[in-house]
Amino acid sequence: MGKLVLYGVDASPPVRAVKLTLAALQLPYEYTVVNILNKEQYSEAYLKKNPQHTVPLLEDGEALIWDSHAIIAYLVGKYGKDDSLYPKDLLKRAVVDQRLHFEGGVVFANALRSITKYVLFLGKTEVPKERIEAITEAYDFVECFLKDNKYIAGDQLTIADFSLISSISSLVAYIPIEATKYPKLSAWIKRLEQLPYYAENAKGAGEFAAVIKSKKFTIVD
Amino acid sequence: MGKPTLYGLDGSPPVRAVKLTLAALQLPYDYTVVNTLKMDQFSEEYLKKNPQHTVPMLEDEGACIWDSHAIMAYLVGKYGKDDSLYPQDLLKRAVVDQRLHFEGGVVFASALRSIATLVFHSKPVPKERIEAIVEVYDFMEAFLQDHSYIAGDQLTIADFSLISSISSALVYVDIEAVKYPKLSAWIKRLEQLPYYGENAKGAEQYAAFIRSKNYTVID
Repeated sequence: MGKLVLYGVDASPPVRAVKLTLAALQLPYEYTVVNILNKEQYSEAYLKKNPQHTVPLLEDGEALIWDSHAIIAYLVGKYGKDDSLYPKDLLKRAVVDQRLHFEGGVVFANALRSITKYVLFLGKTEVPKERIEAITEAYDFVECFLKDNKYIAGDQLTIADFSLISSISSLVAYIPIEATKYPKLSAWIKRLEQLPYYAENAKGAGEFAAVIKSKKFTIVD
Repeated sequence: MGKPTLYGLDGSPPVRAVKLTLAALQLPYDYTVVNTLKMDQFSEEYLKKNPQHTVPMLEDEGACIWDSHAIMAYLVGKYGKDDSLYPQDLLKRAVVDQRLHFEGGVVFASALRSIATLVFHSKPVPKERIEAIVEVYDFMEAFLQDHSYIAGDQLTIADFSLISSISSALVYVDIEAVKYPKLSAWIKRLEQLPYYGENAKGAEQYAAFIRSKNYTVID
């Protein structure tokens, strides 16, 4: 087995999705911090490895893999004792895949990264209300997807839970989740917080929230 | 075995990605139009099948599958004669997966859908929306540096996914061959596919619709 190296920073939600997966698989790895607030992802050395200059990035021996969803799928396929975290059954996998793409598009790109770009990277103090609506829309969908299931893609824990908890636990820094309004979503969050390795997400989520709360901004029409 | 049913409309880029895949697999299917411009996706019947109320959606042997990327991966796994369109090899698959998620996040959600929403509602378009499209083209050019297709030397579902959105992004920002030689060559390469009409027809409908809207780009 080649050496596993994860590049990223704890505050980053997709990095945390990978950290949860590595912990669930009980895989040892090295961690190299790439601080995106200091633009370290634009170093010549990093751009050679990842021309999309994002985190997380996984190095497995000589292979370089990025996008958190691609990384976690790869890790389960290569190192999982079984396929429970990412079922090979085509229909079960299609549900996990849809949840993963939902996380990447609707939750991360449209809800989380867009508002964070305003508040953190562009330092704006006014945020259009559509950015808040995008967050509640994400919560509404997750509540709906959970139906009567324990986990986001069915009765088993999968990488879709790791992907979604990383971003949902960061969105709460902008809008808290009221248990009366979102009972299933709240119960799902509490369920994942019981995972013995949940700190792999909690620590960085706390760091993310602290950064966001240190910024002053108002919602405008 | 009954035929699968695809729900959607031709103008929609992710619907076209699935149509390209179905054509590449030479899989017969039924097509039910769900016109998102007329809010057909919010009908009680459709919401029961797809609570995310998006297109495309595939119904196959009683199962409802949505998100274009999930559909395409499922179709190759179930109906492909081989795995070339979505390799089983974990490292090759990881590249295709990264390209698929790039399409869903950076290209479709961040670049394409956001500008389309503004234009559809006749709102002014901040120049960041144009810059987001240019950034997509820059990334595509970088990804295509060493290979003929977007995930390597073979055609995969990542090419279908990306050509559907890139061919629609064109209506907002041109792709100059001088500035983007690899991207331009890749587009021409895919246009040679015998079933490319599955994308071209809807891409032209999409373009015509956007061109019918007058919009301005503002600082």
